[in-house]
Amino acid sequence: MTVDDTRRDPGIPVAAGREERSPDPRFVPIPPEAEERSSDPRFVPIPPEAEERFSDSRFVTIPPEAEEALPPADTVTGKLGRAFFRRLPVWPLVEFLSKKKVPRHRHSFWYTIGSMALFFLVVQIVTGVLLMVYYSPSQPWSSVQRIVMEIPFGGLLRSIHHWSANLMLLALFVHLFSTFFMKAYRPPRELTWLTGLALLGTTMFLGFSGYLLPWDDLSFFATRVGISELEKMPLLGTWIAGLARGGPDVTVDTIGRFYPLHVVVLPLLLLAVLSVHLFFVQVQGVSEPDSFRALPPEQKRYHRFFSEYLVNEIPIWMALAALLVALSALFPRVLAPEADPAAAAPEGIKPEWYFMVPFQMLKLFPGSLELLGMALTGLIPVLFLVVPFVDRSVPADRRGRVATRVGVAFLVYLVAMTVWGMVS
Amino acid sequence: MTDADKAGEVRRSSGVAQNEVGGRQGVDRGRRRFLWVTGGLGLAWLGLAAYPIYRYLAPRPAPDPFGEEGRALVKKVSPADVAAPGSGANGSYGQRGCIVLRTPEGELRAFDSKCTHAGCNVNFAGDRIFCHCHGGMYDFGGKNVAGPPPRPLTPLRVFEENGVLYVAPTDRKQEG
Ligand code: FES
Repeated sequence: MTVDDTRRDPGIPVAAGREERSPDPRFVPIPPEAEERSSDPRFVPIPPEAEERFSDSRFVTIPPEAEEALPPADTVTGKLGRAFFRRLPVWPLVEFLSKKKVPRHRHSFWYTIGSMALFFLVVQIVTGVLLMVYYSPSQPWSSVQRIVMEIPFGGLLRSIHHWSANLMLLALFVHLFSTFFMKAYRPPRELTWLTGLALLGTTMFLGFSGYLLPWDDLSFFATRVGISELEKMPLLGTWIAGLARGGPDVTVDTIGRFYPLHVVVLPLLLLAVLSVHLFFVQVQGVSEPDSFRALPPEQKRYHRFFSEYLVNEIPIWMALAALLVALSALFPRVLAPEADPAAAAPEGIKPEWYFMVPFQMLKLFPGSLELLGMALTGLIPVLFLVVPFVDRSVPADRRGRVATRVGVAFLVYLVAMTVWGMVS
Repeated sequence: MTDADKAGEVRRSSGVAQNEVGGRQGVDRGRRRFLWVTGGLGLAWLGLAAYPIYRYLAPRPAPDPFGEEGRALVKKVSPADVAAPGSGANGSYGQRGCIVLRTPEGELRAFDSKCTHAGCNVNFAGDRIFCHCHGGMYDFGGKNVAGPPPRPLTPLRVFEENGVLYVAPTDRKQEG
C-alpha cells in the first residue's frame, strides 16, 4: 500500500507533514486515529481510552445526571455502573423510578392489595414449579398422592399452592372492588381496568385448570360440571367444550390439555397482561382518591417508591408468607379418593368459593330456566367491562353515585350467594 | 424493498415533471395491493399452519361402551343385589356409570348414571335417585322429579345372563 493509497482511503487519514520525515513512504507510521479504527484489533495496541469507545457513537457518553448520581468513577461499583449505563441508555428509566412516589392517605391500605396479589403470584410460580418436579399427568392421582405422602414437605408445598391460589383470588377480588369504589377505572385509566379484569379472568381459569390436575373425585366432577355448563353456551359452546375435554367426556385426555394450559399457556398470558397492567400503572402513576386529590399541594404527603414504600411492603409480604404456612399446616389440602368416572359424585360436593356464585345459580335456576341463570352470571363480567365507559365523569356526578350503588348491590349479591353456597 | 418503495424511488430519481397527485395515488394503489397480497398470503399461511394444529387438538370420539356385541357387562352389581323389589345399586359399564334397580312392582331397570343437568353421576339412594351436585332427583322410572335436571335419565336395556347382568342400548337414541 502506498501513501497515495492510504490517502485515497478516507477511513485512514494521514497526518500532514508525517510522510516527509520517512525516507520510505511505505513505512509511514500510522496515525493514532487510524490505529483505533483498525478492523483487526489484535494488531493494534489498545490505547487506554479504547475500551470506552464503541463503533456506535450513540453509546459513548452517559447523561451528566447519571455521572453525578453514580458512585465515584474509581470505585468498582462506579466503574460497573458507568459501563452499564454507557451500553444501555436506560438512565431516564432509572431516574423515573427513583423519583416515583406513592400518595399517603387513609385509604392507602387498599392500594397495597394489588402488590399482595403479586406476592401470591410469585409463591404460585415457585411452588408450582416445585410441584411439577414430581407431578406426572399420566398418573395424576398417584403422583399427587406420592407428593403428599412420600416426598418431604410435599404436602406442605401442595397446601401452600392451594392456599396461595385462594388468597391470590381473594386479593384480586378485593383489589377489583376497592378500585371500583375509588372510581379508579375512570378515564384515563380504562385500559388499566380492562387489563386488570383480564388478569382476574386468567387467574380464575388457572384455578379451574389446576383443580382438575390431582384427578380426585372432587376435581373430576367439578370439571365435568364446569365444562358441561360451558357446553350449553349458545353457538360455540359445544365446540369449545369438546376442545377443552378432548372428547365427549372428561378423561385423562382432558388432563393432557389442562396441564399445559395450567403450567405454560395461562401463566405466560398472565405475565404478559400483568406487565402491560403494571406498565400502565407506572406511566400514569397510581390513581389518587378524590379526597386526596382535593388537598392543597402542601398537605399532600407521599412515600418514595424506592425504597420507603417497598421497605414498608416487606413486613406485609413476610406476614403473608407466615399466613400461608400457618393455613397450610392447620388446614392442609386433602387429596380425595381417585376419580372414578363411573361412581356417583361424592356427597356434599362443592366448587371452590370463587365459583360458588355460578354453582348457586345452577341450583336456583332449574330446567328450562338454567340458561337464564347462566346468562345472569355471564352479565357480571360484562357490567364490569363497560363501567369505565358509562361512568366517566368527575366526582359528585349522578352516574357516579349510581355506579357506587350498583357496586354495593353487586358486592352484597356476590358475598351472599357465596356464603349461601358454602353453608347450604 | 417493497414495490411501493421502488415506485417512490423511480419517481424521485426520474426528475421528470409529473402530476404529483396522480403519482401519489399510484403509489397508494400499489401499496394497498401489496398489503392485500401479503395479508392474504399471511392468512393463507396461518390457515395452513392452523389446520393440522386444530386436527391435533380436535376431540376424539369416546369408545363405544357396548362394543361389537352390542351389550356391556355390568360391574359392581350382581343379580342378587337387585333381587328384592325396591332395591337398587350403582354400577358401571365400560367407562361409564349406571344404576340398576328393581321397581316396587318387580321390574328390572337400568339407567346411565350421568345426570342430565350438568353431568355428575347420580346416586341410588334407597327410595329415589339423587344427584349430589345440585340436588337433582329422579324417580324409579328415571324421570326428573325435583331440582335442576331438565330431562329424565337415559334408560338402558338390562338383562341377566349366566348369573351376571348386562346392559344394552334401548331403541331410544342414546343421549349424552
Ligand atoms: S349435575 Fe346433577 S343436579 Fe346438577
